[in-house]
Amino acid sequence: MTFLVRQISRSADGREIIRSHSYEQGTIFVGREAACEVHLADLAVELRHASIVLLESGALEVTALGGLGFEVDGRKTTQTIIDPAAGAELRFGSHVLTISREDGNPVISAQRIEALSEVSEDRDEIGLFTLTGLLPGRRVNAWVLLLSILALFLIWPIYSIYTREETKREDIKKPEAAFHPDSFWSSGALSNAHAGLKNDCKACHVEPFVAVRDSSCITCHDDVHGHADPKRLLTANPPLDWQGKMSRQIADKFSRPAGRCVECHSEHEGAGPMEGTKQQFCSSCHSSLDTRLPDTKIANAGDFGTAHPQFQPRVRTVPGDISQSERISLDRKPVDDGGLKFPHNVHLSATNGVAKMARSMSVKYGFGAALACKDCHTKTADGVRFLPVKMETNCGMCHSLGVERIGDTVRTLRHGDPKMVVADLRAFYRAGGPFRVRTQQVIEGRRRPGDYGSSGRYYAYFGNVNYGRADSAIRAVFSRGGVCYDCHIISAPPAGSDNWGVGKVQQTLRYLEKGWFDHGAHKTETCKSCHSAAKSTLASDLILPGIKTCRNCHGGEGSRTDVPSSCAMCHSYHADDGAPWVPREKDRKKSDLYAMLPAANRR
Amino acid sequence: MAVPKSAQSARIPSDGTHEGFLRYANFRWLKITGLFSILAIAAYLMIDVQPRHNGGSWLGYTLGTIGVLLILWLTLLGVRKRRMTRGAWSLKAWTSAHVYLGLGLIVIATLHSGFQLGWNVHTLAYVLMMIVILSGIWGISVYTTLPRIMSANRDQTTEAQMLAALRSIDRQLHDAAQPLGQHYAELVQSALDHDPFGGGIFRRLSNRYPTCKTWAAHREISRITRDRPQLDIDPLEKVDSLLERKKSLLARTRKHLQLKAMLEIWLYIHVPLTFALIAALAAHIISVFFYW
Repeated sequence: MTFLVRQISRSADGREIIRSHSYEQGTIFVGREAACEVHLADLAVELRHASIVLLESGALEVTALGGLGFEVDGRKTTQTIIDPAAGAELRFGSHVLTISREDGNPVISAQRIEALSEVSEDRDEIGLFTLTGLLPGRRVNAWVLLLSILALFLIWPIYSIYTREETKREDIKKPEAAFHPDSFWSSGALSNAHAGLKNDCKACHVEPFVAVRDSSCITCHDDVHGHADPKRLLTANPPLDWQGKMSRQIADKFSRPAGRCVECHSEHEGAGPMEGTKQQFCSSCHSSLDTRLPDTKIANAGDFGTAHPQFQPRVRTVPGDISQSERISLDRKPVDDGGLKFPHNVHLSATNGVAKMARSMSVKYGFGAALACKDCHTKTADGVRFLPVKMETNCGMCHSLGVERIGDTVRTLRHGDPKMVVADLRAFYRAGGPFRVRTQQVIEGRRRPGDYGSSGRYYAYFGNVNYGRADSAIRAVFSRGGVCYDCHIISAPPAGSDNWGVGKVQQTLRYLEKGWFDHGAHKTETCKSCHSAAKSTLASDLILPGIKTCRNCHGGEGSRTDVPSSCAMCHSYHADDGAPWVPREKDRKKSDLYAMLPAANRR
Repeated sequence: MAVPKSAQSARIPSDGTHEGFLRYANFRWLKITGLFSILAIAAYLMIDVQPRHNGGSWLGYTLGTIGVLLILWLTLLGVRKRRMTRGAWSLKAWTSAHVYLGLGLIVIATLHSGFQLGWNVHTLAYVLMMIVILSGIWGISVYTTLPRIMSANRDQTTEAQMLAALRSIDRQLHDAAQPLGQHYAELVQSALDHDPFGGGIFRRLSNRYPTCKTWAAHREISRITRDRPQLDIDPLEKVDSLLERKKSLLARTRKHLQLKAMLEIWLYIHVPLTFALIAALAAHIISVFFYW
């Protein structure tokens, strides 16, 4: 029997080269060793890999000799019997042995079917030396990125704007859990006041391609005061510089009308309080207002430190009558007669009888070595200013209107009711009142040093004479030296009448109507550092400090003073009687000049 | 492409030294960009915008318009580079302008933003632009440094020659390993079968191939051969020296591939992100006017 072995290889140009050998023997070997009949130059093949034995039946028995097996028609095995007539394919490493039969003899054709090595394969060399296979193509990446960004940041938000349900006004302030893709467009966080709107862009941006209008603001802010007559406001605006003109022209072209709320109240400037108003917003008109509004009553003001008129408190031009009043500059040293006689200097002296008396009453009223402002002046609840001084609670601590003691009660004349005083005195005398009318009855009456004698008690003093009759006593009470006359302006009654007139006392709580002054903000100062009360001899003295005093600490917005103060510290654009708007305490920054302001001022 | 005859024959007068796109016309575009940037910064500092600088002031819109036109023009280099011409608007001039005006865009766009950045589409456009510019800076720096290193590494061989040499070594290895026992034959086979350049972009860029079978085979075989006397007839000895040679060839080729990858990788960022930037820019501009 003969084995026919064919070694098939290929030339460089792909031509097949077949070398045939026949072996007249019953067993042949397959292996890498050159001595093997089927010699496979293949490192995956053992030196002597397998034997092929021709059996009696004409079949071939293939047996692996080493540890490595082989494949028969794709199946791994170590031994198999093959009928050459049926044929088979054996795989050793990178070689395939095809078994067939020719002329009754088995034929074994060996052929390499895999390349020698990875590098020796015909590679796309250009491909190897570029990144083409390693990364997704640039063009593909470009398209994917382009389309995803457009979809995510443009199409999705626009789609949501047109399909989303509108937020109801009552829901606007509720924290919205829902995310809206148009918030990708937000150029910055909203201020604290508007933070609730952050997921409802349409609350302000009502119509696409239409700038935010005041109507959006007014939806919530329906009680805002205007600044002035809109026509005068337009006239008062300074002429635009080249930048302003250019901006205006561009804005007009792009439908951004002038004078909208958002021009001053700009949003998306970051979380935190809305910015306080800058001085420039005011000074651009007010520093030269008279040139554009010649009839204006408002003096020019551009900077508190350098260009601000003297304060003009409203004072009475007729004593005791606020209906006849006028704002007069402090430079003109105005007086304001509220109808009271009161010497501050006497009461604040540290050496006179008042001080002595204060000391004697210190246990009961907490007075110090002398009277202090706070002993009579009480702060308002918000601490901004002071309550009117009241006879009963403030003056009455020392100035008793007592006339007699009955049991443990002191009978007093009724303050504020002259007719009752007259009636009470008449009743007092009719009841057989004291004939020794130095009214020593009021034994608990307080000592009031000074004019009224050192030995007597202080009481409703009727004058230096003993009176036997009520008429005399009444006249004395309302006359110079009498208890009413001392503090009030008295008008004598018509002849034969008891209708003594006592002028009403008016006390002004706020002299500076146009600016906001907060006493609470000035706790670090003493009263006398601004008010020279100790030198004042008359109640009509206007002991308000002038602007010079304020400027000791306050200067304009950019000044180097202790308290740089923009206009908005005292003035409000949307002017009303309240305090000017400043950021809330929890919103303000530490460095903020508004830190100086007390709580009442921070709305 | 049809080129006029005069253009074909025209020669650029040259003093013999090469003038790259960076030095083109004595840094003309660097000077122009520098001047313009200084003007822009001066305008930013001197013009008072209330309450603070932003893209919505007139200066902001001006800078923004300049910025978007610049970006579109810079993108056109991709079209322009496929049409080579000479002269003042030669591709070299165009590339020089591309580089310096692209750098100037950092100033223009940053001033346009008024330094107000956040998590939004506007900042997305800014960040994409900055990445594109930075990748461009990276690209220029590798273009100026790597070719010299690459040339030294190649040592006068071409890419085709590198591969041919490897193939030759492989054939020799294959032949030399034929007499070896199965264990060593398998080692050599694994070195032949292994794709020495596979493993992805990071392996390519880092030039680290810790699982290389050639290294493993050489390590194993040289462990045996280094203790034996050097005999010319020892087939293992021959395989050892062939593996040694393959190792050094691989090292050079891989270094070459690494350098080429570094030369190329920035474009895979620069180009696709440019288109991402244009998309973000479109969203930025449309959204601003949409929510006007």
